[in-house]
Amino acid sequence: MAALLRPARWLLRAAAAPYLPLSLRLLAGGPGRPHAALCLRAARARPVAGGLLSQARLHSIAAEKKNYLQEEPTSSHRRNASQFDWALMRLDNSVRRTGRIPKTLLQKVFDNTCHSGSAGGNQALLLLRSCGSLLPELKLSERTEFAHKIWDELQKLGTVYDVSHYNALLKVYLQNDHKFSPTDFLAKMEKGNIQPNRVTYQRLIAAYCNMGDIEGASTILGFMKTKDLPVTEAVFSALVTGHARSGDMENAENILTVMKEAGIEPGPDTYLALLNAYAEKGDIDHVKQTLEKVEKSDLYLMDRDLLQIILSFSKAGYPQYVPEILEKITYERRYIPDTMNLILLLVTEKLEDTALQILLACPISRESSQNDFGSFFLRHCVTMNTPAEKLKDYCKKLKEAQLHTSPLQFTLQCALVAQKLDLAKVLMKALKEEGFPIRTHYFWPLLVGHQKEKNVQGIVEVLKGMHEIGVTPDQETYVNYVFPCFDSIKSVRAVLQENGCPHDDNVFSQAELRSKAVNGNLDYILSFLESNTLPFSFSSLRGSLILGFRRSMNINLWSKITELLYKDGRYCQEPPGPTEAVGYFLYNLIDSMSDSEVQAKEEHLRQYFHQLKEMNVKIPENIYRGIRNLLDSYHVPELIKDVNILVEREKTDSRKPSSSDLESKLEKLKAENQPIGDILKQLILMLCSEENMQKALELKAKYESDMVVGGYAALINLCCRHDNAEDALNLKREFDRLDSSAVLDTGKYVRLVKVLGKHGKLQDAINILKEMKEKDVLVKDATVLSFFHILNGAALRGETETVKQLHEAIVTLGLAKPSTTLSSPLVTLYLEKDDLPAALESTIDCYEKYKILPRIHDVLCKLIEKGETELIQKAMDFVSQEQGEMTMLYDLFFAFLQTGNYKEAKKIIETPGIRARPTRLQWFCDRCIANNQVETLEKLVEMTQKLFECDRDQLYYSLLKLYTKKQNIVFDNETYARLINLLLMKDNSTQAMQVKDFAETHIKGFTLNDAANSLLIITQVRRDYLKDALTTLKTALDLDQIPSRLAVTRLIQACALKGDTESIHDIQKLVNGLEDSIGLSRMVFINNIALAQIKNNNIDVAIESIENMLTSENQTVDPQYFGLAYLFRKVIEGQLEPALEKISIMAERLANQFAVYKPVTDLFLQLVDSGKVDDARALLQRCGAIAEQMPILLVFCIRNSQRPGKAPVMKSLLELIPELIDKEEAYTCLMKSYVFDNDVTSAKALYESLTAKNVKLNDLFLKRYAVLLKNAGESVPFTEPPESFEFYAKQLKESKETHL
Amino acid sequence: MAASAARGAMALRTNIGRPVAFVRKIPWTAASGELREHFAQFGHVRKCTVPFDKETGFHKGMGWIHFSSEEELHNALQQENHIIDGVKDLKELNWNSITSTNFIHSDVF
Repeated sequence: MAALLRPARWLLRAAAAPYLPLSLRLLAGGPGRPHAALCLRAARARPVAGGLLSQARLHSIAAEKKNYLQEEPTSSHRRNASQFDWALMRLDNSVRRTGRIPKTLLQKVFDNTCHSGSAGGNQALLLLRSCGSLLPELKLSERTEFAHKIWDELQKLGTVYDVSHYNALLKVYLQNDHKFSPTDFLAKMEKGNIQPNRVTYQRLIAAYCNMGDIEGASTILGFMKTKDLPVTEAVFSALVTGHARSGDMENAENILTVMKEAGIEPGPDTYLALLNAYAEKGDIDHVKQTLEKVEKSDLYLMDRDLLQIILSFSKAGYPQYVPEILEKITYERRYIPDTMNLILLLVTEKLEDTALQILLACPISRESSQNDFGSFFLRHCVTMNTPAEKLKDYCKKLKEAQLHTSPLQFTLQCALVAQKLDLAKVLMKALKEEGFPIRTHYFWPLLVGHQKEKNVQGIVEVLKGMHEIGVTPDQETYVNYVFPCFDSIKSVRAVLQENGCPHDDNVFSQAELRSKAVNGNLDYILSFLESNTLPFSFSSLRGSLILGFRRSMNINLWSKITELLYKDGRYCQEPPGPTEAVGYFLYNLIDSMSDSEVQAKEEHLRQYFHQLKEMNVKIPENIYRGIRNLLDSYHVPELIKDVNILVEREKTDSRKPSSSDLESKLEKLKAENQPIGDILKQLILMLCSEENMQKALELKAKYESDMVVGGYAALINLCCRHDNAEDALNLKREFDRLDSSAVLDTGKYVRLVKVLGKHGKLQDAINILKEMKEKDVLVKDATVLSFFHILNGAALRGETETVKQLHEAIVTLGLAKPSTTLSSPLVTLYLEKDDLPAALESTIDCYEKYKILPRIHDVLCKLIEKGETELIQKAMDFVSQEQGEMTMLYDLFFAFLQTGNYKEAKKIIETPGIRARPTRLQWFCDRCIANNQVETLEKLVEMTQKLFECDRDQLYYSLLKLYTKKQNIVFDNETYARLINLLLMKDNSTQAMQVKDFAETHIKGFTLNDAANSLLIITQVRRDYLKDALTTLKTALDLDQIPSRLAVTRLIQACALKGDTESIHDIQKLVNGLEDSIGLSRMVFINNIALAQIKNNNIDVAIESIENMLTSENQTVDPQYFGLAYLFRKVIEGQLEPALEKISIMAERLANQFAVYKPVTDLFLQLVDSGKVDDARALLQRCGAIAEQMPILLVFCIRNSQRPGKAPVMKSLLELIPELIDKEEAYTCLMKSYVFDNDVTSAKALYESLTAKNVKLNDLFLKRYAVLLKNAGESVPFTEPPESFEFYAKQLKESKETHL
Repeated sequence: MAASAARGAMALRTNIGRPVAFVRKIPWTAASGELREHFAQFGHVRKCTVPFDKETGFHKGMGWIHFSSEEELHNALQQENHIIDGVKDLKELNWNSITSTNFIHSDVF
């Protein structure tokens, strides 16, 4: 706590400073937590795109980095490291997934690095290496520029360069064909006091060779010789290029001979250099010859190499030879990213025709065109300003080839995003020609850009373009995208006319009307509606008008506009007519307001309704009922009677008797001297529902002696609704006199309290409360809420005494607990009056009385806003004294957040020692959600990033809730990924899928990472959505992800249990080539395919294929690893007797005829494991060799000893094969198992038989046994080894290692 | 292009119990007019919103269809695929709110 205290005290001092907002800038201390362990992936087994297209091996840097960190573990380096970690992950991910890095990503990582103020050597290396061929979307010169910018900026930040950085820069130069002087480069290194190494020389030679400068290359080669550096294949390959580029093909070819003489066999790289050299000369014959030569040799050119030859041909101006090379490409899946990168590179180099050729040659499956292929190409073409006509043609070809379903639409979208008007126009015309409609909203993205810059000319151009295409701007276009660019709508009209922009005057005027309405300019609306001559639909204006009404509180204008709309022949006249239209409008108006807004505007609304009544405006009864329900839920039932007066009475049900019918009936009965109680009550109830208080009261006065309890109750309620406290009170007294034991319902009591309180009849109100207590009236949650509204209403009106006395009465009577909510009006009273000292006093007073701190957050916020430093100090002292430092810090944190003092908030939450308080954080999240505070919640999520023990997922979940509530999703990959992971962890795959779908629609290229997809597969399998799981697997693999072994295995097993052989085969094809990366054994497939076949009753097929595998000449799996335990176990568990029998025969046959003992041993062990000891014994008798399969038996023992409950199995095994006891591994495992299961008897027997044999037992064994005995309360017959288990385990391991 | 319809109630207060379908994956080429036209075959569309992002000029690929009755909503949700702008499937699932777990259709890919 001491640490917590320091900054808090400091804050209080800082708060006394004369300037505001409160500054916490000097607050000391960063997060005093240990740095998160660095976890770096080791280099993947799977090669990523490399060669020309991506040579940077980001992984290797990662490996270097570890050492670097160990050398200098200072704190500043640690921070760098964590950042570096992040950057590495982002770049690494991109390279792994696509073989390239988008420029924006590199820029972002670079900016972040600069922002952090320092960059480590490895971080610099990472950035530099990214500037070469990993950026196919950038022109070569731009890439080098980028590299130079990084070099210079990082140097300024103090990064120290070593030879690896210079080498990286050289490589970037080579990859980017950058022309530079190698001697200058060497001089630069010398100046930096850096010694060139072999790699430097090698790359300098390559640089000379690329320029065709053999002489220069020879000089460097001379250097290398004097330094005794080895000349590698890379150097020879460079020389091939060098000679070729100097025009000497003969010598280029000779290099290969020279190499051989020097004892270096030319490898693929050398041949590739030669092939590229021919390609650059356009010499297809030699290229083909050389390719044939390579094919005949044992060398192998990969797709990646062939792609490079294509690049050479294209760049040298021989695109005609591309198809011949394309034919040779195998299109292995892992080279698809390489192919895509080549396509991008060609587009960058303005060789887009060749790019298309390659694209069309890609063997993408066309029937199941789930995903359009070629979007990346089209998008990049748009970025690189490929001529519009060409793009049109490409779209046509992609569509014809069935690669892309809607290429024109997609390209148009890209053009719109990039705000390319001319291109967009061409594409729209093309779409139009193909019969697609061109819609108004297509132009909005184009307008948005100009609108942001207030570029009037740009807007005009787009509007002209719309006209050209034949699209008329609609109201939305003007209101949302055109008007905001201008100072006034008048000037819009002028500019449009000036520029000859045709526009529909009607649409324009209505747009203007809407725009004025939204701004609350009701005068304009009225005069427009009066002078307007064109018909238009009221519903199109409704939304804007409601906003306008809420902005302007001029009730006279409200009424006049409503009246005009209701009565004028131009509006609302067509069915369903004005009554319906205006009624619906009123409903929407009230519905759009919040309860507090309606409460605040109660008087205005009342006035409005009464004016409408004067104007003879009517609404249908059903809509009135809707409004009544709304008002009730807003806690303003007093307004109901005011709306009621608008109801169209004529149309009410004529079958029901009217009030006048009833009245005459009543009079008749009275005259006949008959009882009138019932009919009187009926009449009063009817008058109440018609809100006719006057008449109802008269009636009561006239027939007072015939009144019954029910009539009084309805009347009291009616008077309350009409705010008639006097009569309500009198009626209540009469009611009591009639029957003092009669009880009103809770709602009526509450309304009485409200009305009486409002009219200053405090004592009477309190008496009602007392009666509620005495008569034990049911107090529900809703009642307590009503109490709150009564108190709050009084507080807002500033009625101090009413609030205090009623609160006091409610609490002392025990009608409700003094909760924070119920007591908050006590504070609201003063907050409303801006009397902050009294507000704080009141809060503190509540704490002293009830141990609650109502509205402390709001009080603090106001104090901060007003800069009341002394009061803040007082508040903080009180809170920390009463509730502790941590609560105080949270209070302060939230108050700073709420008031937008983010810097100060950040300092607080970074106080050393502060930890997450989930309930408080959730409270604030909920508050933000309720109040639609997106920014505040985002800041909270951001600031709590490093908060100790903070449940990030929960915070992100809150954020998502708010986004969805606002229907305003801010798309952030991380948010979604987290959420999906969270839902998956909670085993809620349904929701996870929903969120994932959601994310996919909103984030371009949104994907789950490896781990999440694996988790998803597991969840889907568990829920038995196998088809979905299979699709997920496909998706993951398409993204070049490596799913987890567990996920793939679970899926295969589930398919097998379903007998779905086909799916297992599909999976096998999908993961083909990735088995090692996933860690998947071939046996998983063999076992499960067999199991699936057996489930389908194809037992013979299953057995035959297994037998074939084990007895054929070319075995794919060594018999000794051919484990079928899983299959056996499933067959035994499933009690598939016929299958078990046949399997048993097969296993024995394999053992007896082919000397393959693994299957029979596995079967034996599985029988033992399943408790079928007799079957096992029989099998052992038939096939004695099982007992000799010690390695298999021992592995079984070791595995079983790691699980509890296996002691009986181990015991049976020992009984069947007593020789096992001679093996140290075996008896160790046995003891372990017995100890696991507390089987003292068996342990004793084992120990005795071992000592009888004079076996020297190791300490670990003895320790285990001793502990078992001790726990069982028995004496230990030897000295217990004194050290811990770990100690002996380690000792044993070491002794075994030294023996080896 | 793909779009999906789901029973929706994301707005917290007013939509509860109202027959509203939530539609996802609306292609950028379609706006509320197209959506309204498509869903009119299942019943009376009282209201149809496809909010546009004023920052980009594009919509966010989702929208809300307010039907007059539960039955009409049900009709719309019954249909396996919804195709807007003639290109691809729209699939359905039930998005009652983000806390609901009630799936109509599990084939969500």
